[in-house]
Amino acid sequence: MSQVETGDKTQIATAPRSRVVRPTGAAWILVIIVVLYAAVLLGGPLLAIIWGAASSGLKAMVRELTSAEAINALKLTIILSLSATIINTVFGLILALVLARDDFKGKRIVNGLIDLPFAVSPVIAGFMLMLLFGRQGWFTATIDALNVRVVFALPGMLLATIFISSPFVVREVLPVLRHLGEDQEKVAYTMGAGYWRTFRQITLSNIRWGLLYGILLTFSRALGEFGAVLVVGGGVTRLTETSTLFIYRALDDRNEVGAYAMALILAIISFSLLLVMEYARKHSRKD
Amino acid sequence: MCTEVMRRNTRIAVTKCLLLSSLLSSMVSCGGSISDHGRKVTLILGAYTTPREAYTKAIIPEFKRYWQQKTGREVEFQESYQGSGAQSRAIISGFEADIAALSLEGDVDRIVKSGLIQHDWRANEYHGIVTTSIVVIAVRPGNPLGIRDWSDLTRQGLRLLTPDPKTSGGAQWNIAAIYGAALRGYTDAGKDDPTAAKEFLKRVLVNVSIMDKGARESIINFEKGVGDAAITYENEVLVGRQAGQKYDYAVPHSTILIENPVALVDKYVDKHGVREAAEAFVQFLLTKEAQEVFARYGLRPVEEEAARGAGAQFPPVKDLWKIDFLGGWSQVTVNLFGPAGAYSRSFEELHTAQ
Amino acid sequence: MPASSPAIRPWGRWGLRVVGIVWLGLIIVLPLSALLEHGLHDGVSALFREIANPIAFAALKLTLLTAVVMAVINTVMGTLTAYVLVRYRFFGSKLLNSLIDLPFAIPTLVTGIMLVVLYGPQRTLGAWLAARGIQVIFAQPGIVLALLFVTYPFVIRTVQPVLMEIDQSQEEAAWTLGASPWRTFFEITLPAITPAILTGALLSFARALGEFGSIVIVAGNIPRSTLTAPVYIFGQIESQNQRGAGAISVVLLALSFALMLFVDWVQERRGKNHVSG
Repeated sequence: MSQVETGDKTQIATAPRSRVVRPTGAAWILVIIVVLYAAVLLGGPLLAIIWGAASSGLKAMVRELTSAEAINALKLTIILSLSATIINTVFGLILALVLARDDFKGKRIVNGLIDLPFAVSPVIAGFMLMLLFGRQGWFTATIDALNVRVVFALPGMLLATIFISSPFVVREVLPVLRHLGEDQEKVAYTMGAGYWRTFRQITLSNIRWGLLYGILLTFSRALGEFGAVLVVGGGVTRLTETSTLFIYRALDDRNEVGAYAMALILAIISFSLLLVMEYARKHSRKD
Repeated sequence: MCTEVMRRNTRIAVTKCLLLSSLLSSMVSCGGSISDHGRKVTLILGAYTTPREAYTKAIIPEFKRYWQQKTGREVEFQESYQGSGAQSRAIISGFEADIAALSLEGDVDRIVKSGLIQHDWRANEYHGIVTTSIVVIAVRPGNPLGIRDWSDLTRQGLRLLTPDPKTSGGAQWNIAAIYGAALRGYTDAGKDDPTAAKEFLKRVLVNVSIMDKGARESIINFEKGVGDAAITYENEVLVGRQAGQKYDYAVPHSTILIENPVALVDKYVDKHGVREAAEAFVQFLLTKEAQEVFARYGLRPVEEEAARGAGAQFPPVKDLWKIDFLGGWSQVTVNLFGPAGAYSRSFEELHTAQ
Repeated sequence: MPASSPAIRPWGRWGLRVVGIVWLGLIIVLPLSALLEHGLHDGVSALFREIANPIAFAALKLTLLTAVVMAVINTVMGTLTAYVLVRYRFFGSKLLNSLIDLPFAIPTLVTGIMLVVLYGPQRTLGAWLAARGIQVIFAQPGIVLALLFVTYPFVIRTVQPVLMEIDQSQEEAAWTLGASPWRTFFEITLPAITPAILTGALLSFARALGEFGSIVIVAGNIPRSTLTAPVYIFGQIESQNQRGAGAISVVLLALSFALMLFVDWVQERRGKNHVSG
C-alpha cells in the first residue's frame, strides 16, 4: 500500500492519465493468472500445430506444399482474398464517406445493415447465396441463360468472400472521417482544388492508418474463410478448393503433414499481417 | 507527403487494374476449358468419401493414360468426395458433375428424379453397379473388447461411431445392415419382427457418440482414438490399413452387400460437351484392369475375372444379403429413414427423451 | 445537406450516395431478403414449428448455453487481462499485447485443428485428461474452449482503450483517503469500464452464436450434447432440408443482429462518436 502511495506521489505531476507501474505482491498473482490463461488458451494450440507440422520434417512439408493441389488452393485463396479486399475497399470507402458526410433518412438502417455480416454465421452466408443462385434460386434462370456458373464455381465463392469481409473498411474509416470533419476539404475547395485532388491529398492521407488497418482486417478475414466457401463452393479439387478447404480435405485423406503444413502457412501469413496491423493500430490511435 | 500519397495511389490503381484483369481472365479461362472441344477435356467427378484413394491414386491416372493413347487428347479431372447423400444433393443444387459415383442407388435415383439423368443407368450387365463391399465393425488392435457381432454393440457403455445417415451413404448401409440382420434372426431380437428389430436398432444407436458427415470422417475419428468400435465399410478399413493404421475388424455373421453405382449425368455432360470422354470413363470402370485396381484398394469387384482373382483377400460372409431383402432402396428410404421410419423414430426417441 | 462547395457538383455527392446504397442493396439486402423470404415463406407459425423440432431446439439451446459459459469466462478473464496490460509493465507484456489479436488472424478451421492436435484422445495431454474423466474434444468443454479462443480479443480490446483514458485522479483520491486497492477497483474503476465490458461481452456472445469452422472439427454432431446451431444448419443444407435450414438461420440471425443493434445503442448512449462496435 505504501509502495503504491509513493509511486503515486512521484508520478502525479508527470502522468495524470494511465500510470504503468511494475506489479507488486498481489498484483503479481493477477499477472501470472493472465499470462497463464493466455499461454494455455493461445500458446498451447499454436505450439501444438507448429510441432505437428514440423514433426515429419521440413522436406515432407515442402513436398506437400508444392504439390499441384496445394499450389492451386493457395492461388485460389489469394485471388479470392485480394479481389474481395479491393472491392470492399472501394465500396467501403464510398459508404464511409456517404455515412460520415451526408444526412438522409434511413441512415441508421444503412448503418445497421453494414454491420450485418458480423452477425451472420458463415454457413448462413453461404446458404443465402445458395438461395439466390442455387437450384430454384431467385436468379438461377438468369445466370443459366447467360451460361455463367455461380454456385460451385469461382463467382459464388467470390461473392461469399466479399459478403463476410465487407464491414471492416467502413468500420475503421468511418470514425476517423467523423472525427476529422470536412473543414480541411472545404479549405482546399475554396483554394480551388478539384474533388479528386482534394480526396487524394487530404482525405485519403488523413484516414490512411485507419484505412490500412481496415484493409488488413478484410484480407485476413477473407484468407481464413471456411464455412461460407464450403457451402457455396463444395471444395471441388482444382476448381473451388481454397486453402482452408484443402486442409479440410487433407485431414480426410489422412494427409496430416499436408493439413498442418497448409495450416501453418495460413497462420504465418495471418500472423505477419497481424504484426503490420499492430503497427497500423498504434498509429491510427495516435492520429 | 503529397507526392508520397500520389505515388501510393497510382500504385494502388495499377495493382487494382492488374488484379482485376487477372481475376477476370482466370474466371473466363475456368469456364472456357469446360466446353473446350479441342485438345483438352475436363471431366468433373462427384463421388462419395470412401473410394477417394482408388480414384485419385490409380483409376484416374490410368484413365488419363488410356485416353491419351486412344485419342491423343488430354483429359483433366476435377473431383469432389463427400458423403453420398450430400454429394447427390449438391449435384441437384448446381454442382455440375459429369459423372456421379455414389454409395447407393437411392442417391443416384434422386438425381434421376430431378431430371438431370435421362437415360436408364441400370442398363448394363452389372445393373449400374461398379463395386461392392460389406458392412463390418472396426475394432481396436487385438479386439480387446471381444466384439464379434451386432449383438455385442448393444453392450452398456460401449462407445460406437457411425456416420450421419442424413448425409452419408455409408451410414444408411450401416443402419440397413443392423436392421436387416435383426429381422433375419442373427441378433437377440426375434426373427421377422419389425418392432423387435427397431428396438434392437435403438439399443445400438444409444451407444453412438459421434455422427460424422461421411464414412471417411467417421473412420478417421476412430483412428484418432475416439470410441471403442466403428461401423463402417470393409474397404474403409482396408484402405486405412494400407495407410498404416492399425486396427482389426469383425465381420458379422449376417451383413448386407453394399453395391455402389456409377452414372453419367446427362444434362451436365451435354452442357459441357464431354459425352464421349465421360462415357468412356464409365465403361473404363468396368474393365478388368480398373476392377483389379478397385480390389487393390479394398473394394470387391463386380467384374467376374477380377472378382475371382481378388477372392482370396476378402473374407466370406455366412449370411450375405442384398437391399432387396428390405424391399430395395425405394422402400428403405421410407421405412427406415422416412419421417416415420424405424431409424428416424429411434433417433428422435433417444435424443429428445428427457 | 452541408453547404455545397464550389468544386462539388450536386450530382457528385448524390451519385456517391446512390452507388453506396445500390452496393449495399446488392451485397447485403438481397441475400438477407432471400433468407427472410425463404424462412418466413410459410408464415411465422411454420417457423416456430421448425424450431420446435427437438433436434433443432436442442442445437439452439446448446449454442446459447456454450455462448453464455464462454461469455462469462471471457468477461472475467478479458477484463483482468486488459487491466493487467494497461496498468502494469512486466517482462513479456508487450509481446502479450501483440498476441491478443492472434485469434483474429487465425482461420477458425485451423483453430479447431490446433485444439484437436493438443487435446485429442491420442495426444499425451488428451489421454492424461481422459484418464481423469475429462473429455475435451467431441464434448462440450471442447466447444467452450474453441469459442474462448476465437473471442479472446473481444473484451480485452473494448476495455483497454477505456482503461487507458480513465483519469486516475479519482482512484488516487480514494487511495489517499485509505481505501484498499480492491475497494477502489470495485467502486471506482469498474463502474467506469462497465459499458465497455458489456459491449465486449455482447460482441463475443454474438460472435459465438455463429461460430462454425472450429466447432465442426472439435464437436461431435450428437444432438443435445455436441450439436450446435450452425453445424445443424450445415447438416440441413447438406441433406437439403431447406425449410429447417432457413428457419433456424432466421432465428440465429435475428438473435445476433439484435445483439449488435443493442451494442450500438449502448455505445451511442455513452456519447461515443462512432456508430459501430
